Amino acid sequence: MTSPQIRHRVDPRAERAARTILTGQRPRLLRQPVATATVNERRRDPRAIRDAALVQRQPRPRYDWARDAASAGTTAAVGVAVANAPVIPLQVIAEPAYLVLAMLDRPGGEVSEHDRQVIAAARLLADAGGGAVVTVATGSGEALAEAGSDRHVALPDGWADDYVPERRAAAAAALMASLSPRHILFPDSPDGGDLARRVAAAAGERLFAGVQSLGPDRATRQSAGGSLETGHRPTRLMTVAADAFAPLDGVRHEARPLDLATPVVAGEEVLPRLGCARRLAVDPDALSLSETDFILSAGNGVTDWQSFAELGEALGATRAGSRVVCDAGHLPRERQVGASGTVVSARCYLAFGIAGAPQHLQGITGVKHVIAINTDLHAEMIKRADLSIVADAQEIMPALIRLIRERRHD
Amino acid sequence: MTDAAMGNVAVLLSIGRHPVSGRSRRAATDAQALEMALALRPRRLTAIHAGPAADAEALRAYLGMGLERLTLLVLPEGADPVEALITHLRHLAPSLVLTGRQAEDGESSGMLPYLIARGLDAAIVPDVVRIGPADTPDATYGKADLVQALPRGQRRALTVTGRLIATVHPSAPPARASAFGPARRGVIEPVAAQAAADLFLSDCEHRPWRPKPKLMRVKRGGSALDRLKAATESKSGKGQLLINPTAEAGALAIYDNLVEQGILP
Ligand SMILES: Cc1cc2nc3c(=O)[nH]c(=O)nc-3n(C[C@H](O)[C@H](O)[C@H](O)COP(=O)(O)OP(=O)(O)OC[C@H]3O[C@@H](n4cnc5c(N)ncnc54)[C@H](O)[C@@H]3O)c2cc1C
Repeated sequence: MTSPQIRHRVDPRAERAARTILTGQRPRLLRQPVATATVNERRRDPRAIRDAALVQRQPRPRYDWARDAASAGTTAAVGVAVANAPVIPLQVIAEPAYLVLAMLDRPGGEVSEHDRQVIAAARLLADAGGGAVVTVATGSGEALAEAGSDRHVALPDGWADDYVPERRAAAAAALMASLSPRHILFPDSPDGGDLARRVAAAAGERLFAGVQSLGPDRATRQSAGGSLETGHRPTRLMTVAADAFAPLDGVRHEARPLDLATPVVAGEEVLPRLGCARRLAVDPDALSLSETDFILSAGNGVTDWQSFAELGEALGATRAGSRVVCDAGHLPRERQVGASGTVVSARCYLAFGIAGAPQHLQGITGVKHVIAINTDLHAEMIKRADLSIVADAQEIMPALIRLIRERRHD
Repeated sequence: MTDAAMGNVAVLLSIGRHPVSGRSRRAATDAQALEMALALRPRRLTAIHAGPAADAEALRAYLGMGLERLTLLVLPEGADPVEALITHLRHLAPSLVLTGRQAEDGESSGMLPYLIARGLDAAIVPDVVRIGPADTPDATYGKADLVQALPRGQRRALTVTGRLIATVHPSAPPARASAFGPARRGVIEPVAAQAAADLFLSDCEHRPWRPKPKLMRVKRGGSALDRLKAATESKSGKGQLLINPTAEAGALAIYDNLVEQGILP
């Protein structure tokens, strides 16, 4: 390949000046040129600049003009620099001026996107005056360090699964009394919003619900059915609207367990008025595609519709299909996934005989886990999937039904 | 015996606001709350609105759903309705109070049901889609079974003891249509009430809402190439690939994978 080659430009004046000896009565010129050839700095060498900006040659050249000239190494250096990404410095707030509490949902033990956004909003308030963010959630705080948490209060693990909002509200009120934080933020999700309103009603304080923008001296929210923007100084209790703040990245905080004088579980004494909470089984086909968590989807490669229906029932999955299937009338139109159908955000998508056209893949960008069954090894769906099986859908479906029934009877 | 628990029901109704035209209408979830209350066939059903008397005409849409009378607690403009409602409800002593989740106009903070629950010392359950008297054998007086809507279309059943305030979720049974004749014939009974002005709201500044740009999940940092890749390339999976397995082996791989993901038990 062509290596970056420096072309020495001839600068006759500079050469002549280097050969001139001024010591005698009159200037003399040396015969041999002196090997100086200083590069004239004011000249641009477009080839060298272009080579320095090249970050990728295959399959087509790409250039990064934003890179500064100093860091611009050779082409290969870029790949290495990305591989060992710079270590994010740990930010420590040893003596916080005040505390900002973030009460997180953490549904199913995972830190949700909304939880991260709440921490980002809490950081806005904390960083304005040297405060620290205290996260309160079930589970340990390690996962929250990169989201921007300075201190963590772990709620008892058992609270993650059962629904006793009164107990959580009592714990929040206890924390409010013992830590006297300047602000407490909640996610404005069904559970987080419920908790926030319980705490606000118990404390007799005003709740600023669904904050859309936040600064140290002004918070805004939507009111009057979304037609007005209401602004006020940040109050003590606020809930943060979904998708209003970008979650932090590229930061690392301590998320150190906070030692409390009084335990948080003071809430156990509350006699709960809500009880016997249990999840109900819902008919998966009655759910809309955008809501459901598990989708069984068919494409043009499925011909055995009897097995497909049985499989949907056995798996407890919501049935859906590609456009071809809906056009042919095998499934109703509202069961179409894709650009002109429904954009789904299921946790798992099981696709039988779908080629993976761009219009279809657009509909499943939000899906976490994809399993694809296709006879064509080179189908786009196979590339997208987390588990791909190159096989005939009509053979896999009955085998899977049999397997599920077998396991269920064990 | 069972309907004794649901004998006395109150519904709190607000005046809604059409999201596009801005016209007054019946609020969607409040109408569903009234529908739920009517379906319970309580011995006594009280519908209450608190607000300025000038807005009363918009309430006739609720009367058209089959209510005979509706109590209007007359408050001055900009007053906080919570205290007046609590005082009135204490007097009525209902075993169940139904409301919508959030008002369509005004502050719409969703705090009202919680403050009323506090004032009446009642339990509060949000996002209810179904209510019935408890059908457990030891059903004592004042126990109710509820079904609550969760995100992603899931449902949760609950049992509640004592007096209950429930807010209704939009996926509850739809409200019946409002008929014109009953809406004209129904009676709105004004009741004078005391209320203090809401100082917090007058302290806030209001301006028309301007839509904000949607939050994009952009990846910051890294080289231009990384950012370009993150923005343009579709996510590709981790790519475990089985080529032409037997049907049983393929099915087993899918099954194990689903179990691993926690989808199947
Ligand atoms: C404007 C526009 C909007 C569109 N919107 C959408 C949309 O919203 N949603 C959508 O889905 N499509 C949409 N499409 C259509 C899209 O372009 C594709 O035509 C469609 O997605 C293809 O569906 P398919 O993969 O089921 O069928 P095919 O492309 O026919 O693919 C069938 C696949 O099944 C495999 N197969 C065949 N036999 C078997 C077997 N026995 N076992 C296993 N696999 C087998 C084949 O290898 C092939 O990969 C849109 C198109 C346009 C122009």
